Amino acid sequence: MVKVTIDGLEIEVEEETTILKAARQLGITIPALCYNELIEPYAVCRLCVVELQRGQRTRLVTACNYPLRESVVIRTNSERVQRLRRMNIELLMARAPGAKIIQDLAAEMGIERTRFPLEDSDEKCILCGLCVQACSDVVQAYALGFSERGSKRVIGPPYDTTPETCILCGACAYFCPTGHIKMTDTDGRILHSELTLGPNAAITLPFRQAIPNVPRVNPDYCIHMKTGGCELCVKVCQKEAINFTELAQDSFEEFEVGAVIMATGFQDFDPTPMKLYGYGVLPNVLTSDEFERMNNAASPTGGRIVMENGEEPRSIAILHCIGSRDEHYHKYCSRVCCMYELNFAHLVNVKTSAEVYQLYIDMRSFGKGYEEFYQRILDEGVNVIRGKGAEVVPAYQKRRGEGGLLVCCEDTLIGKYREIPVDMVVLCTALEARADAAEIGRKFNISTGADGWFIEAHPKLAPVSTTTEGIFLAGVCQGAKDIPDSVAQGAAAAAQVMKMFCQGELLMDGAYAEIVEDICSGCRICNGLCPYNAITYDIEKKVSAVNPAMCKACGTCVAACPSGAITGRHFTDEQIYAQIEGILA
Amino acid sequence: MKPYRINLMVCAGTGCVANHSFEIKKALEDEVKKRGLENEVQVVATGCNGFCAEGPLMVVQPEGIFYHQVTIKDIPHLVEEHFLKGRPVQKLMYVPPDAKAPIPKMSDISFFNRQMLIALRNRGLIDPEKIDEAIGRGAYSALAKVLTAMTPPEVVSLIKASGLRGRGGGGFPTGIKWETCRKAHGEPKYIICNADEGDPGAFMDRSIIEGDPHSVLEGMLIGAYAIGSHHGYIYIRQEYPLARERLTIAVQQAREYGLLGDNIFGTGFQFDIKVARGAGAFVCGESTALMASIEGRVGEPRAKYIHTVEHGLWNLPTCLNNVETWATVPEIILKGAEWFTSIGTGDVSKNPWGGSKGTKVFSLTGKVKNTGLVEVPMGITLREIIYDIGGGIPKGKQFKSVQTGGPSGGFLPASLLDLQVDYEQLTEAGSMMGSGGMVVMDEDNCMVDMAKYFLAFTQDESCGKCTPCREGTMRMLETLERITQGKGREEDIQLLEDLSQFVMDASLCALGGSAPNPVLTSLRYFREEYITHIRDKKCPAHVCRELNVYTIDPGLCVTKGHGCGVCRRQCPENAITGEKNVAHVVSQELCKKCGVCYDVCKFDAVKVA
Repeated sequence: MVKVTIDGLEIEVEEETTILKAARQLGITIPALCYNELIEPYAVCRLCVVELQRGQRTRLVTACNYPLRESVVIRTNSERVQRLRRMNIELLMARAPGAKIIQDLAAEMGIERTRFPLEDSDEKCILCGLCVQACSDVVQAYALGFSERGSKRVIGPPYDTTPETCILCGACAYFCPTGHIKMTDTDGRILHSELTLGPNAAITLPFRQAIPNVPRVNPDYCIHMKTGGCELCVKVCQKEAINFTELAQDSFEEFEVGAVIMATGFQDFDPTPMKLYGYGVLPNVLTSDEFERMNNAASPTGGRIVMENGEEPRSIAILHCIGSRDEHYHKYCSRVCCMYELNFAHLVNVKTSAEVYQLYIDMRSFGKGYEEFYQRILDEGVNVIRGKGAEVVPAYQKRRGEGGLLVCCEDTLIGKYREIPVDMVVLCTALEARADAAEIGRKFNISTGADGWFIEAHPKLAPVSTTTEGIFLAGVCQGAKDIPDSVAQGAAAAAQVMKMFCQGELLMDGAYAEIVEDICSGCRICNGLCPYNAITYDIEKKVSAVNPAMCKACGTCVAACPSGAITGRHFTDEQIYAQIEGILA
Repeated sequence: MKPYRINLMVCAGTGCVANHSFEIKKALEDEVKKRGLENEVQVVATGCNGFCAEGPLMVVQPEGIFYHQVTIKDIPHLVEEHFLKGRPVQKLMYVPPDAKAPIPKMSDISFFNRQMLIALRNRGLIDPEKIDEAIGRGAYSALAKVLTAMTPPEVVSLIKASGLRGRGGGGFPTGIKWETCRKAHGEPKYIICNADEGDPGAFMDRSIIEGDPHSVLEGMLIGAYAIGSHHGYIYIRQEYPLARERLTIAVQQAREYGLLGDNIFGTGFQFDIKVARGAGAFVCGESTALMASIEGRVGEPRAKYIHTVEHGLWNLPTCLNNVETWATVPEIILKGAEWFTSIGTGDVSKNPWGGSKGTKVFSLTGKVKNTGLVEVPMGITLREIIYDIGGGIPKGKQFKSVQTGGPSGGFLPASLLDLQVDYEQLTEAGSMMGSGGMVVMDEDNCMVDMAKYFLAFTQDESCGKCTPCREGTMRMLETLERITQGKGREEDIQLLEDLSQFVMDASLCALGGSAPNPVLTSLRYFREEYITHIRDKKCPAHVCRELNVYTIDPGLCVTKGHGCGVCRRQCPENAITGEKNVAHVVSQELCKKCGVCYDVCKFDAVKVA
């Protein structure tokens, strides 16, 4: 530890601490342009020059990289230091008149104008070299460098060509203190002066309220994964939680399990094809999912309900049954919409003074306490119109209304066509089966219905089981349902699994197929036909055999066997003929 | 080696080579053969003799007869008269400017006899491409002494006691540098010889390498032994082809003789040298930039708070010294610290910075009669160097100023001619020792223009890494250009002073740290010249052409020139009118101040004001 005095204040710091860091600990600000604590000090802007006194001898040193090794006295704001700083800023003002940070520093020091002729008035580069340092030392892409020397010095890619080593990480733009470097998303790889969007952050939370709620590294954007450099996150993480050497790569894990509960959920219906509602074309037409996101306190708007222009809407129309109960899309009722829409209306009433219109076909408030909630909404003054929203158009097309949009519908209660001017429209889209549900179903030997949902073994008696033993269903993957129902079904599925495991033995149906080994020719036709993968081929005996625990007695193999070697128990030919005879008799 | 009756030491330094000394050597050899003297007379090409102004030079040994400005035409006569008949040729002998009789012997010429040779001890006496000749003059005997009779700490303390300070410019005590490097942690350690001499008009290091490369190698070997290093680099610029070639030959020969490599002198000591070539950037003479260049990176300096003796080349302990420093080391080992401290100023027994000991080589150039290379003891006055050795100012002009220390050195006025040349006094006067450039200026030099000239060099050579040097020197040059073009403003002097202070104080390395010296000293000693430029828009020395007014004296033009019309025909702007026998007139509106009329008039009728 060394004791130093900075501007009259004493501080004890570890040896080799730089003056800048020690000063910051004391709350003393030293201006520095080419300094970034993540990058080895380059010490070229010379703005951080301070006076250092050791014994009788005083000299000037750069605070950013001067390591404190002994007891010294430092003056960061003496007259001499100030004079140098002012001259430095004056010179930089002439070099980079467009750099705001320089103008701000000049204003802080009371410099109105520079005494030197201005170069290009839009120029922002002060040649601090942070971008070059970042690209070479941090990113290790070496796509940027200095060329020429002296006053002709410029920063750019080698030979002013598009550098192949650039990985578009944007580190140069991030570290640039003056905003000279910006990202461009055209195919141009560098990075000069053109404004556009920046790259995605490599470290983010997976999503809001994720569990566990810890950041993750996205390998598509992580610089380290591309070049082997960077590792700035490792440097700044005080808990030393980031360890690239032990980083798990994406891998496939295999588990042997006795049962599977399918809870693959649903996807939102995309209303883009329904051109009448103008989703994706008209402003302020949202899906319920988007509206829900906006309402969330952690959303970009902080939970405020606003239009694209940032203003609060004066009226909102909530359109029910978009994609549900619709001949052209899904015939079924999505079940959850009515209630969450009422909730939306309530939230709008609480958060804004906007007028709310609910356009419904039938109001289905079927659950416990649901009808009461509906009543409450009505009491709150929500306009409830029976009649499905037919079309959403920009207001000027029909007539000059007070909002930006017009919702057209037939109010079936009064038997009239209405046009409702609103600022915002919320489309309550259907829940639909996931696009890959059929494929998943094939993998697990369970079937999907015409509407795409997984089919349960029996709608009343086995609502969570499937026709495949050991596979159970829970939640919306089986059919549209709300949260209480999903939770109940999940618990039921779990109970089914527990029941199976607790018993230690599987109760099975007496009906299953049997292969008579003496007759089986070993042709293996049945092997591929069995929808339940219950038939295997015994190589030693050269015959096929049925696993009775997996067989569902569907009879496919019985009918297909060319040798007549397979019989279905309780459904033998003799039994069936006897039954036929009994009927005919 | 075969003995000869006569040895002809033909100077083959760069200056004389440019004046055909190799051809002269060849002609001499042919002539000697023709006369059948090849077993009696040997022709030797030596390194730079120093008296470059009088080249091509030749010294006849052993009697020491000095011939200057020898041409190929002179050779048959010379060989016949001198070497055959024994009658030295008077015509080729040096005649001092103010004397009538020639001085036959080199040792009697004041240019030589006022000098004291340590680093240049073998100047003009050996063929630098023959290691045997160097050994014959005592090369490597200091190394033998060190390796066989001294421990490394003894060597370090001897160098410390000698008070030797770095001759490259900084003047850092060599012994202390060696000691720190010796104690630094890290293996291997490196020895570097800085031969990247970039000052315009300076050729000290070049001449040492061209004339006596083994003195440098020996110095490095001694340093390596003292520090504990086994790897050495000599960083030499590609623009020094002759020096590089002779250096490569010397390294090769030393290796063949077992003086480089493993088990030197059978002591087990091991050291080898690589010659690294630089591309000629001035800033690469700065130690950290030089190391970056050797490593293959861009030659740019870095912060000094990490010392190169601890973290230098490849981040390992590195001891870098300049050519002249290395060349001086063997003499100190042989003759002892006491002998060395007896030369020079101050007292170094307590404080290594307390004095300047030994000698310093200067390249004396500019407006001085005897331009060339001189080695003088520290503490000699500027007057002695310029007038006694340099022979004063040519053409009877008035001395105005002398710049010491290369392009970043300061201008010293006539009032400081009696200043003793050592590190402290030069620095105090606003200049520096530098690597040893010395440029003399006379009344025809404009100090603003000179400041501009040297600043243009440093500005052009600035690497551009740090703001003060990059932006500051550019703005200073801009201001100086404005002043010399007659567009100077009253506040420009203050601006120059502010900028100079900023560049000196805030720059990253010594290039920026010393670049404003010419401006600051010219402002300090010749301020009135600036004021004349700015207020009166006049250049007293008539150098800044844009400030000149050209007129024609009608009397002289008619009486002497009879209106010859040369000026009229040469004027590119057709600004001069006149006829034969009629006085010519310059139209001030049309005159672009190129000065051609002044240059071409044979009758001094064109006047500048």
